[in-house]
Amino acid sequence: MGGFFAVAWAVAGRQTYKYFTNPAFLAPALFPLFFFVAFAGGLTRVGDIPGFNYAAGYIAFQYVWALLQAVTMGGAFTGFSIASDFENGFARRLMLAASNRYGIILGYTLASLVRAFMTGTLVTGLALITGMPITGGFDFFGLIALAILANIAATLFGAGIAMMLRTQQAGPVIRTPIFLVLFLAPVFVPLNLLTGWIETVARLNPFTAILDAARGFLAGDPQNVVPAFAISAALILALSLWAVFGLRQAEKAG
Amino acid sequence: MGRDRGIAVEGLVREFKKGPKAVDGIDLRVEPGEVYGFLGPNGAGKSTTVLMLTTLLPPSGGTARVAGYDIVKEGPQVRASIGAALQEAALDPFLTGREHLNLQAALHGISRSDRRKRGNALLERVGLQEAADRRVRGYSGGMKRRLDLALALVHGPQILFLDEPTTGLDPQSRSALWSEVSRLARDEGVTVFLTTQYLEEADVLADRVGIIDRGRIVAEDTPEALKAEIGRPSVEATPASPGERDAVVGVLVRFGEEIPSQPGTVAVRLSGGASGLADVVRALDAENLKVSNLRLEEPSLDDVFLAKTGRSLEGAGDGDETNAEEAQG
Repeated sequence: MGGFFAVAWAVAGRQTYKYFTNPAFLAPALFPLFFFVAFAGGLTRVGDIPGFNYAAGYIAFQYVWALLQAVTMGGAFTGFSIASDFENGFARRLMLAASNRYGIILGYTLASLVRAFMTGTLVTGLALITGMPITGGFDFFGLIALAILANIAATLFGAGIAMMLRTQQAGPVIRTPIFLVLFLAPVFVPLNLLTGWIETVARLNPFTAILDAARGFLAGDPQNVVPAFAISAALILALSLWAVFGLRQAEKAG
Repeated sequence: MGRDRGIAVEGLVREFKKGPKAVDGIDLRVEPGEVYGFLGPNGAGKSTTVLMLTTLLPPSGGTARVAGYDIVKEGPQVRASIGAALQEAALDPFLTGREHLNLQAALHGISRSDRRKRGNALLERVGLQEAADRRVRGYSGGMKRRLDLALALVHGPQILFLDEPTTGLDPQSRSALWSEVSRLARDEGVTVFLTTQYLEEADVLADRVGIIDRGRIVAEDTPEALKAEIGRPSVEATPASPGERDAVVGVLVRFGEEIPSQPGTVAVRLSGGASGLADVVRALDAENLKVSNLRLEEPSLDDVFLAKTGRSLEGAGDGDETNAEEAQG
C-alpha cells in the first residue's frame, strides 16, 4: 500500500499529465499576461512620476506583480481541479486507494508547482522580450522562492475550499479572495504613493510585504526579506491546516 | 475477529442530517472466502453500508472490522486490504484504461515494473486489451464496469466490495462479470461483499444473503435456506376460458391457500409441496376444466422479501438513501 509520498507522486503525476494533455493548460497565465501587457504597456509613464523610485523600471515593477498573480492563480486553478474531482466522483477513488490521505494534498500541491512553473516561465519570457532588465542578478532566485511559496499558499487555500464544498461552484469562492488579496496591494505604484483607504488596506495586506520583497530581489535591492518569508511560511502553515480541515470535512461527508 | 479476510459488523448506524437513519443498527458477519449478497431495494441502506465498510463514510454508531481492522481507527489498513467497485465507476474520462490502472497501482505504492505486468494481466482478464489505450470517455457502460473491477483488483485485495456491479449492464456483460466474481472467490479465495437489487444475481452468486430494508437487516441466510423458510412452492394456472375461473379456483384451493396472482390466472401455495402438482392436474381433468398454462413456481428471494417486509422487492425502493446522502452534504 502506498504511503504518503507514493500517494503524492501518483496524484501529482495524474494532475501533471492531465495539465499537459489539456489544450487549456495555459489558461491561468492568460489573465496575468493580459494585465502585464496592459499595465506595463499602457502605464509606463507611471515610472516617471515623482516618488516612483523603483530602480529596475516600470516593466519590472509590473512583472513581479504579474508573476505572483500567475502563480497564485495557478494555485486557484488547482483548487478548481480538486473541486471537479470531487464533483465527478474521481476523488472517491483517490480517497479509497490512498493509505495516507494527506498525500493527496501534497500531490495536488506538487502538480500546482508544475503549473506555476509553466505559467511563470511564460510571463517571464514575455517580460524579457519586452525589455525587462534583471538587475538583481542571483537575487532573482529570491523572487522565484517567494513565487513558489505564494503558489503553495494559494493551492492550499484552494484545496481547503474545494474539499469543503466538493463542487465546481467552489470556483468563485476560491478565486475572489485571491483576487482581492492581489489587487488590494501596491499593484500600479509603490506603497509610498498610495493614499486613502487603499493605502491602509495595502499596509495591512500581508501580500504587500511579499510583493515588496519580490520587487526588491529583482532590482538587486532586497528589502523586508525576513518579514516576507516569515509571512509566507506562516501562511503556508495556516493554510496547510486549512487544507487538512477541508480534507477532514470531505472524509466526514463521504 | 483476528487479522483475517472477513467482515464483522455490530450495530452499525449511519444517520444523516435532515434525513432518516440510512443504516439503522445492522449486525452481520462475512466469513473469509465467502460471497455475501446484500440484497435490498433502492434506498434500503446498501450503498451507505458499503461506504462505511470501505472507510469512505464514518459511521454514526456501532463498530465494524474489515480484514480484522477497525474501520474508524485503522482506516489505512482497511484500505490496504480491500478493493471496491462502487455504484458509479469513478473514472477520469480523459485517461485511458491503461493509465487508470497505472495510476491506481501507483496510489497503492506498486513498483513501476510491476505496474505494467499487473495492468496487462488485469486488462486481459477483463477483456479490455484492445481498448486499453483508448480514453475512457469512449467506453460503454459495460467496459467502464469491467475497468472498475480491474482497478479494484490491482493490488490483490483480500476483500472485494462490489456495489451494484451489474446495474445497467447488458445480459452478456452481466454474465461475464458474474463469472469473474465467482472465479475470484473460488480460485483466489477473495471475500466478496456484493450489493444488488437483482434477485437472480444474489441467488446465483451469493453463498449467503442478507436482506436489508429501511436500514435494517430483515433476513440473513443461504438463498436456499431463506427460500425454504418461506416453504412451499406455488402453482399458477391460467383457465382456458375466463368464465371457468371460479371453478378452477375451487379445484386449486383443495391443494393449498390462494395467493395473489397475475390477472387472468389463479395461484395457490401447495400445502403438500411440489409433489402435489400431479394431483392438481388430475383434479382439473376430473372436473373437465381446461387450462392454457400451468406453472409450478419455487419460492424466490422476492417471496422472502415479501414475507419479511410485506412488500415486493420490485418497486419497493423509495430513494431515501440517495436523498439522505444528498441531505447531509
